[in-house]
Amino acid sequence: MEFQLPEINLQLMAPEIFLFLWALAVMAFDVTTKRKSSSTAGNLALVGLAVTGVIMVFTDQGRGFGNMFFNDSMAVFFKVIFLAAAFMAIGSSFGLTHTRILNHRGEYFGLILLSTVGMMFLASSSELISLYIGLELTTIPLFVLAAFFKDDRKSVEAGIKYLVVGAFSSALLLYGLSFIYGLTGTTDIAQIRSILAHSAVAGFNPAYQESTPIMVMAVLAILGGIGFKLALPPFHQWVPDVYEGAPTPITAFLSVGSKAAGLVAFAKIMIMGLYDLYDPSKAPNDWGILVGVMAAAAMIVGNVLAIRQTNIKRMLAYSSIAHAGYVMVGMLALNSLGLASVGYYMFAYLFTNMGAFAIVALIEDRTGSCEIASYAGLSKTSPFLAISMTIFLLSLTGIPPLAGFFGKFYVFAAAIKMAETGSGLTWIYWLVGVGLVTSVFALYYYANVMRTMYFVETDSPLKVTMSPMAVAVIVIGVVGVVVFGLNPQPIVQFASDMPAALGALLP
Amino acid sequence: MSEYLSVLIFAVTGAAIVLFTFFISKLIRPHNPYPEKGVTYECAEDAIGDSWIRFNPRFYIFALIFVIFDVEVIFLFPWAVAFGELGLFALVEMVIFILILFFGLFYAWKKGVLKWV
Amino acid sequence: MNLDTVIFIVSAVVAVFGATMMIAQRNPVASVLYLILSLVAQAVCYVQLSALFLGAILVVVYAGAIMVLFLFVIMLLNLRGSEDLGQPPKALSRFTKYTIGILMTLELVFIIKGAPLKAMATGLIGKAPDGFGSVEQVARLMFTDYLYPFELTGVLLLIAVVGAVVVAKSRKPGDPEETQTEETAGTNTNEAGS
Repeated sequence: MEFQLPEINLQLMAPEIFLFLWALAVMAFDVTTKRKSSSTAGNLALVGLAVTGVIMVFTDQGRGFGNMFFNDSMAVFFKVIFLAAAFMAIGSSFGLTHTRILNHRGEYFGLILLSTVGMMFLASSSELISLYIGLELTTIPLFVLAAFFKDDRKSVEAGIKYLVVGAFSSALLLYGLSFIYGLTGTTDIAQIRSILAHSAVAGFNPAYQESTPIMVMAVLAILGGIGFKLALPPFHQWVPDVYEGAPTPITAFLSVGSKAAGLVAFAKIMIMGLYDLYDPSKAPNDWGILVGVMAAAAMIVGNVLAIRQTNIKRMLAYSSIAHAGYVMVGMLALNSLGLASVGYYMFAYLFTNMGAFAIVALIEDRTGSCEIASYAGLSKTSPFLAISMTIFLLSLTGIPPLAGFFGKFYVFAAAIKMAETGSGLTWIYWLVGVGLVTSVFALYYYANVMRTMYFVETDSPLKVTMSPMAVAVIVIGVVGVVVFGLNPQPIVQFASDMPAALGALLP
Repeated sequence: MSEYLSVLIFAVTGAAIVLFTFFISKLIRPHNPYPEKGVTYECAEDAIGDSWIRFNPRFYIFALIFVIFDVEVIFLFPWAVAFGELGLFALVEMVIFILILFFGLFYAWKKGVLKWV
Repeated sequence: MNLDTVIFIVSAVVAVFGATMMIAQRNPVASVLYLILSLVAQAVCYVQLSALFLGAILVVVYAGAIMVLFLFVIMLLNLRGSEDLGQPPKALSRFTKYTIGILMTLELVFIIKGAPLKAMATGLIGKAPDGFGSVEQVARLMFTDYLYPFELTGVLLLIAVVGAVVVAKSRKPGDPEETQTEETAGTNTNEAGS
């Protein structure tokens, strides 16, 4: 026997394996039992997520499968976000499975769980192939979920658009990754980094210096691929249509879970792997400015186009583009604050956006409409929903003392700190400036929704009957936004382990 | 160079057998063409319409599921080739892999997509 | 120029020819046939580059299974052979298309002209070792070092099965799932805000 088996450490993967088997069990239960209530599969899925969370508490950190599976603090942090996003998405789906999703309920919940499993694998992978497969595991169930209303043209259009864009961006990403592999001869991200760092510093390796055009193409292809996933302009056109057509809980899951997965992929490839190409003093291929331009464009495009929307799902879609821009500002700050601020931002965004979409889903279930105009008079008929929505919208705008404010604050603070320490990074100030100015636009369109809820009179105000699970999701959202806004320290503490997880690479 | 020679011999032999058969049948068969012989053969019935019909979507599901299991077989192929060397551990891996996909088959079966009528 | 090079060049030319004819055809079935030609020629190229396993996959999965799927989809959509594939594209999309095409071509030129050859000379990218790309080699890597992505692939294929069934299964009256929904219809409180 000449081959050697890698060290496996299967126990590190316990949460993923459990959730995977549970997803299969949910689907198997659904196809094998004949008569059941509309919420059984959903309740099972919620139980599975909760148990996975408990298992995660007892799972050690470490690495398995050679060096391919890292359960480090960054992975754990993002896994918490993924699980919570899936939990809240499923929690706000019960209205749908009651009224519109009459077939394939088990698959609906099973695919959400499988997508979550994919995100968790993605967060733990430290090698390009498994990272890519993790990304596919994340998105392929989402294609199906986006098209889940098969007799609704918009939903089918959303599914097809998402499929085409997703396949194209995956191909682009894979193309870029194959160049990286070709240049470095390894798929292990840590090794890629050390190879690139070595040759860039010493400059004795002709392969690196002269293959610059390939490196540029590789970085462009990777940024294009991930840019599609994160919906950074100019790769954002698919977002409004997909977000509008997909079932609302899936839209919420897309905007939080899938975005966080894209951020993990970005952090793994660009920061862990290609860090040295960002450092302006070392390499000629500075991807930092490129990402900065994309982030600025995201903030401008998202916030400006959101103003004109009359459909709340489209409005939130554009606002999610803008938020991706804000997150990328933090991502560009490669200091100890940077990744922690990204983590905090995503945590705040998780509660805020999932909560907001839960309300949208609730109202859509009752009225069949997502028009902002149909929210008129909500404060009279259902003050709970109106107040919760107001809190979420204020948090999205970034009004203190809510969680969204601290998210933006940390992101910008990290960026400014980066700009102060590095040389030739004055463009980061401009980026922060763009972020601050566009936040004002954001206030305008979020305030418009609040105005409609409180001050617009209507003859036929909404009557909303609330399912307990949806209320629970909204309450979780409100509590998260308020508590972590008033006291952001625990999350910041939790998130600040992450830069260390990327290796001792940060100044 | 020699391996190409064997490929070449195979190709030439293959083509030659086909050509030879055609040639022989041309020698032996009677030659008596009339119009009915040129009509599309459809189980001795007259053909209705043309062959461009809309397929039953079910063909599509079958093809889709076929592709997926085709990919599975592709993974079995190297495993079978290297099995002697890899031994028990690879067997366990492959059993897990197949069990995962077996769930897919079980699911499709239960869902009734493999039933034609 | 030895025989290997000749075979490689011939199959490369055939692959490019097939790909070009594929996009030049207005008849979708002819397009698929040209694509198959191109794929088979590409498989020969892979074999020449000592990636035997990849060549086999290309023929079995792509030229075989996926092309059958393509044909089914074409038949499903019921496109007549003579029918047009739609109106000519708009100026903007044509511009994007050509821009991307030119960029890709330039990239290829860079790569062929540029570093890898020099890098090969400096020894960073060496010649493939003996047995590289053979089925045994692939198997050894796949079942030892890359075992984790391999099992993940199984999960991915499973999701593909489920997704395909959910998306493509047509509902018939009398399906078991249809009847089960009756019980929920009574408690359904779907009222349009009155």
